[in-house]
Amino acid sequence: MTTQSEAQSSAFSAEEMEFVAEDELVDIVPNMRMEPLNMICGDFGPFLPQIAARVPIWLAVALKKRGKCTIRPPEWMSVEKLTQVLEAERDSEKEFQSLPFHYIEISRLLFHHARDDIPDIYMVRSLIEDIRDVRFHKVETSLETFDGRTSAVQIKSLSAMEVNIVRPFVMKALQAFQKLGGLVPESDPLPDSRPPEVDKAAKGRRTLRGR
Amino acid sequence: MYGRKACQLVKETATGEKGQIKPFNDDMFNQVIQECCSHHLELQSLFRNMQEEGLDIQTTRNADFYGALIHHLSLTRNKRCLMAYMYNRAEVIRSLRWKLGRVLPEEISKKLSSSEKEYLKGYSASLDAYMNDINLDLTVDMVPPKDPYIQVRVLDDIGEVVLTDCSANLARYSMHFLKRTDAEPYISQGLMEELVS
Amino acid sequence: MGSYYDIDDILSEEEPVTVIFRKPANGVGIDPSAEKNCVEQGSKVELPLWIAHELCQRDAVSVNVPACFDEKTRLEIQADPANVDLRSRSPYFYELGCKMAPITGDRTLCYFLFFAFRSRYKEVLTKAHTAAHVATPKVLSRLTNEEIDLYEAAQSSVAAFKKWRVGGSRFQPSSALGRKRRSTD
Repeated sequence: MTTQSEAQSSAFSAEEMEFVAEDELVDIVPNMRMEPLNMICGDFGPFLPQIAARVPIWLAVALKKRGKCTIRPPEWMSVEKLTQVLEAERDSEKEFQSLPFHYIEISRLLFHHARDDIPDIYMVRSLIEDIRDVRFHKVETSLETFDGRTSAVQIKSLSAMEVNIVRPFVMKALQAFQKLGGLVPESDPLPDSRPPEVDKAAKGRRTLRGR
Repeated sequence: MYGRKACQLVKETATGEKGQIKPFNDDMFNQVIQECCSHHLELQSLFRNMQEEGLDIQTTRNADFYGALIHHLSLTRNKRCLMAYMYNRAEVIRSLRWKLGRVLPEEISKKLSSSEKEYLKGYSASLDAYMNDINLDLTVDMVPPKDPYIQVRVLDDIGEVVLTDCSANLARYSMHFLKRTDAEPYISQGLMEELVS
Repeated sequence: MGSYYDIDDILSEEEPVTVIFRKPANGVGIDPSAEKNCVEQGSKVELPLWIAHELCQRDAVSVNVPACFDEKTRLEIQADPANVDLRSRSPYFYELGCKMAPITGDRTLCYFLFFAFRSRYKEVLTKAHTAAHVATPKVLSRLTNEEIDLYEAAQSSVAAFKKWRVGGSRFQPSSALGRKRRSTD
């Protein structure tokens, strides 16, 4: 993965995104007693059996691996909530539903390390996959609407991983647009974005040839 | 055509897998330098013609001048190609130090020219000095680490080695539970693989 | 203008361009039809862009718009942008066009390049995302180097994401070794 992130230094690797997401907080229910942990990123604990505590995911996973706690899946990771989100995503062509910025990474981490703590895990997993697919398709569609003088793209409520996936392409495409669009004098309109139909080729040609 | 060989040399770096290095093309490199020398001679002789005719080289725009101009352009073009060839190889060589460590495997090391080997040695020494200074190995943990220890299988006979916290006999196909930072260099050199549960 | 060491910039300047000499030049062997080592005024010669560009700026030659930007290509692009094989016309189609536009004074060329790129890049994106696993040399064979660069950017980030989602070993032998990676599954 190192080599990949080096090849396109503009993007983070998926592993790096996951690392960042591990700082997000999650609730755990410990089965042991432990003094509070005072760390640079904050104080966590004290930990008492059966009393929920909020900790970063990396800590939750470390405790879970050693059998010291169960992890409470976040509220949005329920079948009910996700079904709503999926329906809303499907209903709206352009809008994105608001989900945690790291929902892809968090869900993968929890599926991997706390599968026995997530009710209806298969359903939850497939709902998240579907949501991701629908959203990604929308991202693709919105990327197709670039035009020449675009210098930035605004898509609201995109998640970290979704942005990361399209970043290398978007940067290169914008650069190319800027380069080619820069050749066309500011005062002149840019050519029509719709490819002319074959029978209208003659008309389309006039636009291309300028005056 | 002028500059064709230099361009072929540059093309060599463009083809092939990214991050890998090709044998230094001594032959082509020297041919381009020879081409440069002959451009230089032609350029001088055209200028000499102009001077013999009593013309001012700065202002005259005759056939000799345009001939000389073409030779001059070819010279700078060839120079750019040679520089780009060296520069882009140097970039790969630096990345080899990060990925494969101080000592390159024989099959890669033989592809470097002697000056490139010198360069790698110098680069490696600067990097080592810096890492010693800050007391940190910067070349490990390029992927965000999960656990301090990982399960590995040895793919080649490495033999008895001393690791940070133990010594181990790394025989082929043996399995070990090693400190991640100890295992990482072996994995990137293709001598071990990580086993995932 | 790319960086001095930029390989693609250097290679794109090697693309051939037809020029007509407005001034004669002595002592150069670039005109294959000439008997002596010189170029006559008015000779038509094919030169790489890097010479043509400089000579043109010094008014020593006039440059023709290369054949790859001819009327036929323009019509084909308008009819069915995604299916035109631009690569066979020039692997550096856009770079070449960008560098030719100022020296040929052909304003329509700018519009055309822009139009061609905009009509084709969606296709590049869709292909790259749908074909994330299989290598698709058939698609790539029609794309210019600039488009392949885009394709690879899109394709490799999707592939890296999928690989992460599947999981597996996080450490791998360096690609610099050039050996075939052993399957770890």
